[in-house]
Amino acid sequence: MKNRPRPLLDTPFWTPGMLVATGFMIAGIIVLAFRYTKGLGYTTNLSYSYPWGIWIAIDVASGVALAAGGFTTAFLAHILGKKFYKPITRPALLTAALGYTFVALGVFVDIGRSWAIWKPIIFQNHTSVLFEVGMCVMTYLTVLWIEFLPVIAERYGEKISILKSLNKGLDKFMWIFIVLGVVLSCMHQSSLGTLLLIAPTKLSSLWYTPILPLLFLTSAFAVGYPMVIVETTIATSSLKLSSEMDILSKLSRIVIILLGIYIALKLGDLIYRGKFWNIFDGTGQSNSLLIEIVFGAIVPWIMLLFDKVRNSRRLLFIASLLIVLGVLLNRINVFIVGFNPHFAKCTYYPSIGEILVTCSFVSAIFFLYRVFVTFCPVISAPKEGGRK
Amino acid sequence: MKHISRREFLTSIGVAGTSMFLPKDSQAWKSRAPENPFACLVDVTRCIGCRKCELACNEANNLPEPEKDFEDKTVFEEKRRPSDKAFTVVNRFFSNKKQDKEGNLLPTYVKIQCMHCQDPACASACITGALSKQPNGAVYYDVKKCIGCRYCMVACPFEIPAYEYFNPITPRVRKCTFCFERISKKGGKPACASVCPTEAITFGRRKDLLQIAKNRIKQDPGRYIDHIYGEKEVGGTCWLYISDQPMEELGFPSVPKRPIPKLTETIQSTLFTYLWSPIVLFGVLSGIMAINKHKEEGNEK
Amino acid sequence: MKKIIFLLTMLCLVVSNSYSSPDATTKIRKDYHPRPSTWVPKDHIKALKLAQKKYEFVKDVFKEDIILRQMRFRHLGIGIKDIKSTYMVLQSPFVNTYEDIYGPVRFMHGAHAKTLNENCVICHHYSPKDSPNKILPCRACHQDAFNPEHAGRIGLKAAYHQRCIGCHKQRQKGPIGCTGCHLKNVPDHKKLVKLPKDPTPTQVTQECLRCHKNAGQEMLTSAHWLWRGPSPYTVNHLKCTKHGKGTDVLNND
Repeated sequence: MKNRPRPLLDTPFWTPGMLVATGFMIAGIIVLAFRYTKGLGYTTNLSYSYPWGIWIAIDVASGVALAAGGFTTAFLAHILGKKFYKPITRPALLTAALGYTFVALGVFVDIGRSWAIWKPIIFQNHTSVLFEVGMCVMTYLTVLWIEFLPVIAERYGEKISILKSLNKGLDKFMWIFIVLGVVLSCMHQSSLGTLLLIAPTKLSSLWYTPILPLLFLTSAFAVGYPMVIVETTIATSSLKLSSEMDILSKLSRIVIILLGIYIALKLGDLIYRGKFWNIFDGTGQSNSLLIEIVFGAIVPWIMLLFDKVRNSRRLLFIASLLIVLGVLLNRINVFIVGFNPHFAKCTYYPSIGEILVTCSFVSAIFFLYRVFVTFCPVISAPKEGGRK
Repeated sequence: MKHISRREFLTSIGVAGTSMFLPKDSQAWKSRAPENPFACLVDVTRCIGCRKCELACNEANNLPEPEKDFEDKTVFEEKRRPSDKAFTVVNRFFSNKKQDKEGNLLPTYVKIQCMHCQDPACASACITGALSKQPNGAVYYDVKKCIGCRYCMVACPFEIPAYEYFNPITPRVRKCTFCFERISKKGGKPACASVCPTEAITFGRRKDLLQIAKNRIKQDPGRYIDHIYGEKEVGGTCWLYISDQPMEELGFPSVPKRPIPKLTETIQSTLFTYLWSPIVLFGVLSGIMAINKHKEEGNEK
Repeated sequence: MKKIIFLLTMLCLVVSNSYSSPDATTKIRKDYHPRPSTWVPKDHIKALKLAQKKYEFVKDVFKEDIILRQMRFRHLGIGIKDIKSTYMVLQSPFVNTYEDIYGPVRFMHGAHAKTLNENCVICHHYSPKDSPNKILPCRACHQDAFNPEHAGRIGLKAAYHQRCIGCHKQRQKGPIGCTGCHLKNVPDHKKLVKLPKDPTPTQVTQECLRCHKNAGQEMLTSAHWLWRGPSPYTVNHLKCTKHGKGTDVLNND
């Protein structure tokens, strides 16, 4: 408990995982080179019927959802003032900052006119949900890196004096950014769900509901802490640090409530709209929804009810991972699986290029996480040489 | 302590969450449709499938030369969709089972293009307002504002906007312009309507055209079914169709009668008018933060 | 493609050779059936003049049931004898609403009236409101398309096309395609053809094929390309079947 965050310069950097990540990143860069010389049509399977593919569904929509750990832990530790959870705020913040950076990058490569990405700031369309999402993500990304600034200043402030003075100046206003971060998150997490409400004829009725924004918001709340649990477990086990199980198992008790709310809303909505029995239709879409609900929400929720699961590092990891994958599947379902254009000649499957770029973005997040963890004081660890 | 925080936590969810149930009041939403815009009435029973509208459209919009020229009738063998190289296409259907004396099925030809909705989903969705509903009725695309996000294509219930997927840096969204420049001039008509040999496309003011359509149906009830596609569909469109069979049989999607952007715009305006909900949430959260900090300082003392 | 270019190039060679021969300028094709110098197409000129005649727009029409109208006209004795012009050129500025893609239709008014059993009302379906017995040409009532003051009245072009095509379809007689009635207006090729100053025959052929792609394809399926039979005009080889273009006259593999 007395451990303080510190750079982990004493751990090996080029592990096999890092090499694989680098490989993916290079592949992604090659695909992107084609995307910027031959066009989106050459690298992706997008069509007039399916204008959005996995770059939007996974890199953007799921990326935003899975970066929810940042604002949920900030809420817990800073706004509610629970000092107990302090050790996990910095890793969660870093994941969120990196996550959102690659959300922005995902949008950047997906839009046809990448160089025009700044235009929504000037030409605003207030009826557009995407405009609101865009502005929120843009602002929140800035807020996240401002929130992360103290971490960098702590390490490099002595060498680069601007960082230090900037950090000092911002310190007084940091509460604004912390609260702003939570507010912005609530706004765009829900609005991501509003995005597809403009397509009532295309989005399958299994997912199309006026409360889709609320479902997106509550699922983001529900996935925030499981995401922290997953990433902390991966990080601590691969870096061979203490597992922080005392914090994580306490976090998981909050998840029971949050996930419970989400499940209740989701099932309640399906029953209210009379679509509940359609889950068992046996079609590809209904099966996908069934997996999303059963394995992505109900099973982990029941698992978390048991003390044994919450206190076991492995079982807690599995339960949390199921929730994370469940929300990921939910976003893919809404943006791709449940999207039925009337005139589609064939269904959309991502091309190799799209998959490679998505993989490279995920790899880049892992890679940069490792870089930051190694060179900045993010993760709490005992003093050098003081480890078991 | 824990209980209080949990309650507070839930209230904050409530602020963000329950407010979403508010937009049930649909009175708040107002259509921004022009009162009596230009419109076109397509009489499917008059179309002879000569493809002159495609030719005129191609010339008027400086589109590239097609693979098969406009005289070629073999294009009817497959159902085509508008693309970045053709803003309008005519398709052939044999769905009405009518035959001539020798028992050959009689074809029905249907022209498709942007419907120029009265409350266009694409314009509501467009992040920069590159697509906008003009007072003269056209849904106008301004390439200078476009960032290429393709949300318009997601939003369009008729799946009309096409995209230059093979242009790596400056792709455009491509769709029927309603010959915006031409109809902006006095007496100007869309290219397709002026070239049409049989006046299968009638150009005029929307209200007049609805009246014409109703008269035609009334005068020849055997020729038409009593429905004007586009009068009510998606809250009304500027391109109207009358036909001898439901338009859904002729490759049109079945769409709701309400304007497509109504739900999302209601949600957005209810939640974010004057940014009230984010401001309230900000106030509540910073209040909680201040109280907790105060408590903490008290504890330390 | 290569085949087409080669073949057409050969044709062009023949043509260009004949032009480049010294007596090319003096060569005159003899007209064996010359048109008499005094001859004029009287009917056509009359028809063109008639087409220029302007009619005041009939605002209100007398509408009646088509059968009753037919009976009334029979009773009044209005019929084929009242036809003033049996040949017409349907040329009117109201028709050229977009571009002159096609030439005007030459309409055999008399022949159509005869075929329709002298039943004028099939086309002359309404009359002006104040004179129900008056028969006026189409363009008296049908003029500009989309006239907002007379919504529902179709323009002259649509009136022609709907009536002609509708009737031809219904009776399964007469053309329904564009070129069945119209001659296509050939655009000025001086503007379209882009060639270097002294083009080679290949360049000329390629330039033709740039637009007339189908013409090249069709050539390959014609006897000009595939002929394998006797060559009756080839001196000394009249019955030889080995000299067709499909065999050894041109090396067309």
